[in-house]
Amino acid sequence: MNVIGAAPEQAAGRVSAPPAAPRGGGGLDPLRLPMRLAWRQLRADRARLLSAIAGVLFACVLVFMQLGFRSALFDSATKLLGSMQADIFLIHPMTLVSFKPETMPRSRVSQALALPEVQAAVPIYLAQSTWRNPETGRRRAIQLVGFDTEVGVMDFPGLAPLVEALKRPDTVAFDRRSRPEFGDAAKLLAARGPFDVQVGSSRMQVVGLIEIGPSFGADGNLVMSELNFRRIAKERRRETVDLVAIKLRPGTDRSVAVARLTALLPPDVRVLAGPELVAHERRYWEEATPIGFIFAFGSLMGLVVGMVIVYQILFSDIATHLKEYATLKAIGFGNGYLRRVVLSAALILAVLGFVPGLLLSTFLYDVVGKGTFLPLMMDAGRAGGVFLLIFSMCGVAGLLAMRKLADANPADMF
Amino acid sequence: MPLDRPLEIRGLGYAYGEGALRKTVLRDIDLSVEPGEIVLLTGPSGSGKTTLLTLIGALRAMQEGSCRVLGQELMGAPEAARVALRRRIGFIFQQHNLLGFLTAQQNVAMALELQPGLREAERLSRATAMLGAVGLGDRGPSRPSELSGGQRQRVAVARALVGDPGLVLADEPTAALDRQSGGEVARLLRDLARSQGVPILMVTHDPRILDIADRIIAMEDGRILPTTRAEAAGGG
Ligand SMILES: Nc1ncnc2c1ncn2[C@@H]1O[C@H](COP(=O)(O)OP(=O)(O)OP(=O)(O)O)[C@@H](O)[C@H]1O
Ligand SMILES: [Mg+2]
Repeated sequence: MNVIGAAPEQAAGRVSAPPAAPRGGGGLDPLRLPMRLAWRQLRADRARLLSAIAGVLFACVLVFMQLGFRSALFDSATKLLGSMQADIFLIHPMTLVSFKPETMPRSRVSQALALPEVQAAVPIYLAQSTWRNPETGRRRAIQLVGFDTEVGVMDFPGLAPLVEALKRPDTVAFDRRSRPEFGDAAKLLAARGPFDVQVGSSRMQVVGLIEIGPSFGADGNLVMSELNFRRIAKERRRETVDLVAIKLRPGTDRSVAVARLTALLPPDVRVLAGPELVAHERRYWEEATPIGFIFAFGSLMGLVVGMVIVYQILFSDIATHLKEYATLKAIGFGNGYLRRVVLSAALILAVLGFVPGLLLSTFLYDVVGKGTFLPLMMDAGRAGGVFLLIFSMCGVAGLLAMRKLADANPADMF
Repeated sequence: MPLDRPLEIRGLGYAYGEGALRKTVLRDIDLSVEPGEIVLLTGPSGSGKTTLLTLIGALRAMQEGSCRVLGQELMGAPEAARVALRRRIGFIFQQHNLLGFLTAQQNVAMALELQPGLREAERLSRATAMLGAVGLGDRGPSRPSELSGGQRQRVAVARALVGDPGLVLADEPTAALDRQSGGEVARLLRDLARSQGVPILMVTHDPRILDIADRIIAMEDGRILPTTRAEAAGGG
């Protein structure tokens, strides 16, 4: 269009009605154009942009680490029960957590066997004892798990080839994922074959390795037969058990079996499907300890700090450009457009901070996970959740900073 | 045809403050601008020129009287109507007020973002054409910080005119410039307005640019002085 060639009549015609513009621009312009302006403004001041991104990245990494630790601790807390691969468990209704079990009469095992759906049932004994590091001689608390290894109800990775060896007196299988303070059992086994260690006051022979992993209650685990368990835990009576593991006949509906066992057994046992037992254990750590709160609080602090940083940056951006914003208002930009500019800037920062934050957190998960033996793992669900948190954090910062726009008064421009 | 007048003011009054602090700065103003007319507004400091301009520009809510701008009555007009009207007015301020993080071309093109339905390519080509018209055809990619004061004010002129406004309002646009570039900007504005047929209402103290006016209006103490009407200047 020829800007300077317009005839005066045409100009007079415009006086009463604005020109009807031809359609052409995208329908997304009301969002795209403010976003582009926000991006150009952010890009213009590199130092400010970088500090804003650093703020979001910081919040992002903090939240990722807190959530990662939280779920790693809960996962590891339930590690022992989670790796017991039985269909159904019986516990005492008063048992809160597996390392402090209330005992049940052993006769519940044979009572459960009366149900036709039940193929096998074995008692499990749990106790804490000490292990003397065969390399350094230092003693350290260790979790003992005793059960009938032969029946095949309970399984741990690596257990099957050791079943015969574990039948011998005074033999144990060591958890290869126990913390390194217990000594390098794998190396010793490879070098000298089965070797002796002191467990409690007994001398036991390590015949092989299984895989469980350390948990809250235990830095390491030993698995052994019922008989060998009682040789170490001499005070434990044969008639009381801590846990009963049940294997169902193939093709049996687990929930039906749970219901029938509940009806059959006296009220001093509680019948739980495998995953329910894990959830029961997890609930203890989540609800009966301050751990869940600590991590939620840590995440919240990360978000608050990130929000304050983003707010500060956006706010001072508006404050230093107040004249320009007032000019835009004066020449006809509505409040909505300017609000969208501020919100777009916040959301651009969310994305620019999240992407490196995700990469850095994935890297840290790997490094820290190796250092602490905690199962830190990045998954899509958590990444998506943290993105939403960061997005909302920046959105709130944008909404707060927006109020500063009210100070841009177009009437002050002349 | 009085209905086609871009600006028609009857009995306008305005006061700042409330109660005991209330201070009347405009009284009983009658003023109109004809299509294509260039009107200069002069007067001593504090006489209310800027206040009048902000009322005409729909930057302030009216209090008393009637003010029709481009067919829109401003007395009692809602905020949305005032914002819409501002889009049809070209504003030029004492400071250029360009966005420092945008190039000259982007600054000018931004004013066109308010017109729905324009494509980006159209916005940019109209901005480039307008920059050419103010003699800055080659400075499109420059940022305001890379331009001289006179060049910046010319970019501001381009921004005010690119949207084909129905009226241009300017408040001392040459005050921040030296004699030569001030005169250049004023004459440029006049020439462009003439060729587009856009009326201009400009507040100025600058005696060197009075020659661009079709008519000069003097204000004093919130009133328009009757004696100085139709003091047509030569030139133009
Ligand atoms: N926002 C405001 N609040 C209160 N009083 C104001 C405000 N703006 C201006 N005034 C007063 O109103 C009167 C008119 O001011 P205005 O700015 O309209 O005058 P002006 O003619 O533009 O002056 P100048 O030539 O100095 O720019 C002055 O006495 C000024 O002090
Ligand atoms: Mg003034």
